[in-house]
Amino acid sequence: MPSTALALTPGLSSFLKSLKTNPIDTSIENLVSLLKRRQIRHSRSCATATAYLLLRVVSACRTSESTKLIERVQSVGRRLMAAQPREMVVGNIVRRVLGLIRDEAEDDREAEFALSEAGSESQPQTPRAFDDASMPLDRDMLGMRSDGGDRSSRPPLTSMFSLLSHPEPENSLPSTPGSQSPNARLFSHGHTKDVRAEVLEGINEIIDELGQVDDQIAAYALDHIHSNEIILTHTSSTTVQKFLLKAAAKRKFTVIIAESFPNNHEATHATVSGNIVGDDENLSFDSFQKPLIAHGITVILIPDSAVFALMSRVNKVILGTHSVLANGGLVAAAGTRVIARAAKVHQTPVVVVSGVYKLSPVYPFDFDSLIEYGDASKVLPFEDGDLVDKIDVQNPIYDYVPAELVDLYITNLGGHAPSYLYRIVSDHYRKEDISF
Amino acid sequence: MATPTDSTAAAGAKPFDIVATYNELLRSDPDLTMPIAAIEALVLLLTHEPSSTISETLDLLAKSTAHLKKAIPNPIGLSAGTDLFQRYLITTLQRPGQLGPAGDFKAIRTHLLSNGRLFIRRAKESREKIVAFGRGFIRDGCTVLTNGGSRAVASLLQQAADEEGGPSAVRFKVIYVLSSISKDIEGPSGEPEGMETVRALRAKGVPVSTIPESAVAYALGKADMVIVGAEGVVENGGIVSRMGTYQIGLLAKAIGKPFYVVAESHKFVRLYPLGQYDLPIEQHVVDFKTEEDIAQKSKQQAVDSNADSPVELPLEDSVDFTPPHLISALITDSGVLTPSAVSEELIKIWF
Repeated sequence: MPSTALALTPGLSSFLKSLKTNPIDTSIENLVSLLKRRQIRHSRSCATATAYLLLRVVSACRTSESTKLIERVQSVGRRLMAAQPREMVVGNIVRRVLGLIRDEAEDDREAEFALSEAGSESQPQTPRAFDDASMPLDRDMLGMRSDGGDRSSRPPLTSMFSLLSHPEPENSLPSTPGSQSPNARLFSHGHTKDVRAEVLEGINEIIDELGQVDDQIAAYALDHIHSNEIILTHTSSTTVQKFLLKAAAKRKFTVIIAESFPNNHEATHATVSGNIVGDDENLSFDSFQKPLIAHGITVILIPDSAVFALMSRVNKVILGTHSVLANGGLVAAAGTRVIARAAKVHQTPVVVVSGVYKLSPVYPFDFDSLIEYGDASKVLPFEDGDLVDKIDVQNPIYDYVPAELVDLYITNLGGHAPSYLYRIVSDHYRKEDISF
Repeated sequence: MATPTDSTAAAGAKPFDIVATYNELLRSDPDLTMPIAAIEALVLLLTHEPSSTISETLDLLAKSTAHLKKAIPNPIGLSAGTDLFQRYLITTLQRPGQLGPAGDFKAIRTHLLSNGRLFIRRAKESREKIVAFGRGFIRDGCTVLTNGGSRAVASLLQQAADEEGGPSAVRFKVIYVLSSISKDIEGPSGEPEGMETVRALRAKGVPVSTIPESAVAYALGKADMVIVGAEGVVENGGIVSRMGTYQIGLLAKAIGKPFYVVAESHKFVRLYPLGQYDLPIEQHVVDFKTEEDIAQKSKQQAVDSNADSPVELPLEDSVDFTPPHLISALITDSGVLTPSAVSEELIKIWF
């Protein structure tokens, strides 16, 4: 009986299974309702579901124009984001796919331009070569660099020069769908199939990246965790666990885990003891992993209230996150801010590990709107029914941690200062997609 | 070449005076910022001085810029404009293409000369872009503390107020810090800078409270955020702004309120001040004197009242430097930036 129940539980795996058979519109509906009901809830699961859905959308979108493709992805993206505005990774993935389409459309136009002006010097068509590279990490790094190179050799479009620049090049910019000239359509005509194929390939790379991101982050572990250090962490974040495990293979250190009651304590206990219950979403990642104690690491589980008392002994705080914002602040599991604040008081370095896909170009205008509130019965169970009427019980799931409490971000691209994140944002998302 | 400006007719009459042109431009259009006025003055200069080679033009620009900077007591804002103009010229010349070395120098010259109005229009449009980016900052029910007479801040607040009746109704309050040093005491208005904005906001139904500078610490508890303008944004992301901004920044940091700067990206200037007294400005805000000095000074002034003394910034125009660690974010026409992003924008045009 439990096995069938497991199979029927709506979640990431059931969604991915149904994606192949269901028609597109049903799948979109399906994901929207899954997001609304919070049946898909971890950042990575949301990102993966979004990426696979967009893969289907793009491949089913039989259009010859990149503008149409962009519109289609935008409309799907808007529905997904409206379904769960606090799950920012959904928007991030949609924006990256939009950026992919725009890049490909522009590349095509440039290639066409170079062809028509055969003989005259033109930009080397580098990006396509990079798309063929198999390692997503390499591709990302190189892709970034080639981007930068392009920007300096091309007229810098978004720079301070825009004030003085010649009006003509600006008009030919494919910045808005409205300004797409008939020329553009003409150019992209010959390359239609190419654009879609390239975009699909790009989305597949995003999916690959989502699968590998934790291992890539973990590769930096030995640079940051040294022998005999005392590390404090929080929740059962997979990224953090993998990071610690990587270091544990070579070094001996002590890990203190705050249990993060009441929303994540069961999972945290399971991570510490190593008997992870078969949660279908985490099945592929965690169940084959040996716990830290099996590597001979001393693991101390503490209640959240003991964080400040122990902080004076801690050498480093390593935190996972829900999403990272453009100003360097982050939204993470409730209790994170207390830890970051305590670390600040003791001048303990705070390191946040997060995949680039969690990095959102959204600026947090209103911190309160980012915080999600969860099941109040976890704080005050319904057995205390007579109390429930008399007091107001709240159970915030997330905390907003301002940028000044974080010392270092480690992403799959390396370590960055919080003040540098804007740069990674501008490398990964197009300006015109930030608010769509 | 056809220039839209009417001053070409008077060109032959007297030599072109860039300082007078700059001042005249600023006076004629109150909406004009200093960097744009400087760019305009340089464009007008080029229309007056026929120069056919690149190095001749660059040399002329460098000389006039130096002259202009020396003559204006606070050249920070203006140097942002002149630098931008010079760099634009050089980069365009180096870039392959129609306007590049292979192309005709005259083409770029004509482009610059015939588009003077366009630059001004774009500069004003950039304020609208800022408003679009900054709209999210002013939320329903919030209180904004601001100071000075920044046009960018004024347009941001007024735009937010305009939408009050609309679908996205934002009700907000403003605490306006008015300078105790009145800008033109003997002038007809005799009122502190910013009163115009205060009136405009009140006319739109926004409750505005005006407070003196001494009440900032007291009033900050009632504010949700501080939004200020800037005369120049320096390389490290700090700002040069109206005297009093630095103390507001310090207080906002101490009380834990976000401190936002609204500035157009053409105000970014390649300057790295190490502190308050490291600005390329003559200003005597802190002026120690004894009774004897005062007597001597008044005597001296009686003797040479109209002698040529070095230009000094009058007290009412004095500025201070707000270091980047006090600034939460810069709202510019190229997006909401962290202070450290400023250096990158500058690097893009200089290197």
